[in-house]
Amino acid sequence: MERRSLTATILVHLAALLLLVVILAPVVWLFVMSISSTPDLIAKPLHWWPDTVDLSRYGVLLSSVANSAGEAFVASLFNSIKVAGMATFAALAVAIPSAWAVSRTPSVGWSLYAVIATYMLPPVALAVPLYMTLAWAGLLNNVFGLALVYLTILAPFTTWLMKSGFDSIPREIESAATMDGARLDQILRMITLPLAAPVMATAALFAFLLAWDEFFYALLFTSDQRAKTLTVAIADLAGGRVSDYGLIATAGVLAALPPLVVGLFMQRALIAGLTSGGVKG
Amino acid sequence: MSALELVNVHKRFGAVETLKGIDLSLASGEFLVLLGPSGCGKSTLLNIIAGLAEATGGDVRIGNRSVTGVHPKNRDIAMVFQSYALYPNMSVARNIGFGLEMRNVPAAERKQAVEKAAKILQIENLLDRKPSELSGGQRQRVAIGRALVRDPQIFLFDEPLSNLDAKLRMEMRTELKRLHQMLGTTIVYVTHDQIEAMTLATRIAVMRNGQIEQLATPDEIYNRPATRYVASFVGSPPMNMLDARVADGVAYVDGSPGGIPLPREFRDNAASARDVIIGIRPESLTLASRDGGLAIEAEVDVVELTGPELVVTSTIGNQRLTASLPPKTRIAVGATQRFDVDASALHIFDKATGQRIQRVSGAG
Repeated sequence: MERRSLTATILVHLAALLLLVVILAPVVWLFVMSISSTPDLIAKPLHWWPDTVDLSRYGVLLSSVANSAGEAFVASLFNSIKVAGMATFAALAVAIPSAWAVSRTPSVGWSLYAVIATYMLPPVALAVPLYMTLAWAGLLNNVFGLALVYLTILAPFTTWLMKSGFDSIPREIESAATMDGARLDQILRMITLPLAAPVMATAALFAFLLAWDEFFYALLFTSDQRAKTLTVAIADLAGGRVSDYGLIATAGVLAALPPLVVGLFMQRALIAGLTSGGVKG
Repeated sequence: MSALELVNVHKRFGAVETLKGIDLSLASGEFLVLLGPSGCGKSTLLNIIAGLAEATGGDVRIGNRSVTGVHPKNRDIAMVFQSYALYPNMSVARNIGFGLEMRNVPAAERKQAVEKAAKILQIENLLDRKPSELSGGQRQRVAIGRALVRDPQIFLFDEPLSNLDAKLRMEMRTELKRLHQMLGTTIVYVTHDQIEAMTLATRIAVMRNGQIEQLATPDEIYNRPATRYVASFVGSPPMNMLDARVADGVAYVDGSPGGIPLPREFRDNAASARDVIIGIRPESLTLASRDGGLAIEAEVDVVELTGPELVVTSTIGNQRLTASLPPKTRIAVGATQRFDVDASALHIFDKATGQRIQRVSGAG
């Protein structure tokens, strides 16, 4: 590193620290809320740290007693995992071939722009047609139906991301493999996709998060435990006559865990996929 | 038997015609270099031979078999790319053996072939590494190994040395020549580097605007360039091209007071008065030692010592004349200097067509 004065070094570290605080503070507060007892939460002045650590809400939300808040929450957790997982998987399955095709055939690139253009429409504009389509197909209040709707959101964006990933892989490598006698599926499986793994992981991660956090369509297209996702379930917690903020916070903490696991897993894939040196440079 | 035959190959990209009828025939064991500036169509031609691009018209025959419409993998060819195009996620050994792997060659046989190729290229100790752990020259060797191991009928090289630094490029050039001598394979090699072309080729095809300007041995390309373009493309420093007018067997260089009486062999073909270009290679100029003979006067501007030679740039009127002289030559900047011209190394081109004006008899 180049020489830097002590003041500058201190300032840089302070800035980094500030950023860390800004990012972490809400998460930490969420966690503190989730383990505070109700009296601690409504006390004035505010208790920054609860007098007694109360983990009972985690028990409430994760219980499997029939017709309890826990049962609804756990069901919605699984719904979210199913919907986000299926939508992400399907989005990649759609994105990989289409992105490769667009990347290797620049003359059809306009089609991708056309798809991206649909992104400009606000979700509410599509809500009614989507609702009617789902109703017609009998997929309302159904995880598959919701995953299908999410696919329409995720596919353009993952395709776009994958295309830029494929663009960065020299065509000469694929040409070389062609001459070596590899079929298209072999080229994709053995060469192109391993090289695109980091982008694929990024696309999957963002697609999963997008689907995980989606609220609007989930609220419209689901009505009970069979398909309700986490975001809707958390909103339900806040919707009663009495809002238990601690419970909402606990749900928030629990809802953040699966994406965290996915993120950590993908991070490993990101690093493992980093390869270079096939071509010059 | 010809290893490769191109018959009237055309290539069009929309309205742009990049190849305008290429004909050539290559004997087995030949080293053909396609030489030309970027955009002349040489890489397109190579891709058509490889099957990575399809010709708009004409026929490509490899080993007397038309390969039009035949998939690249079934053409019995191997290609080395400019960027090496190694598979970054595979070891060197797997990179080299990939072609055999795809052709379902048994592992043991594959291993043997890979080791043999690695031995020829002296990269046996690198077989377990990934391409990212190799230097440019080593990657180049792996790329060549990948072609070598398949033992194809024709090797295609697409500017393979252009990513290497100058010293390494020379080494690899020699290496390629050694490989060609050792294996006797048929090679088509694309480059814009005239030195590579001159040193490696058994024949050079100088290309321009989608056509072959001249197809000949390096010696012929250098000493008997068919056109002004070929003459200016090969040689360093480049050939001097002087605008001149011929009348009665004497060439009057524009800006020069005297005339150069043309050697007898030219007189019949360059008898009538016409505008010509006189081509003189810098190394065929010497300091005038005597009066008479073929000589040309010029004012010396710049003298550069490159080491093995002294490059003297001088002017005749507003035309430039470069001479490569022995390094010990003493010459004064600013003075008017007489240069002797080696008559047998004189080239004359028609100014309008750029075509070489042939000598009537003799070897020139």
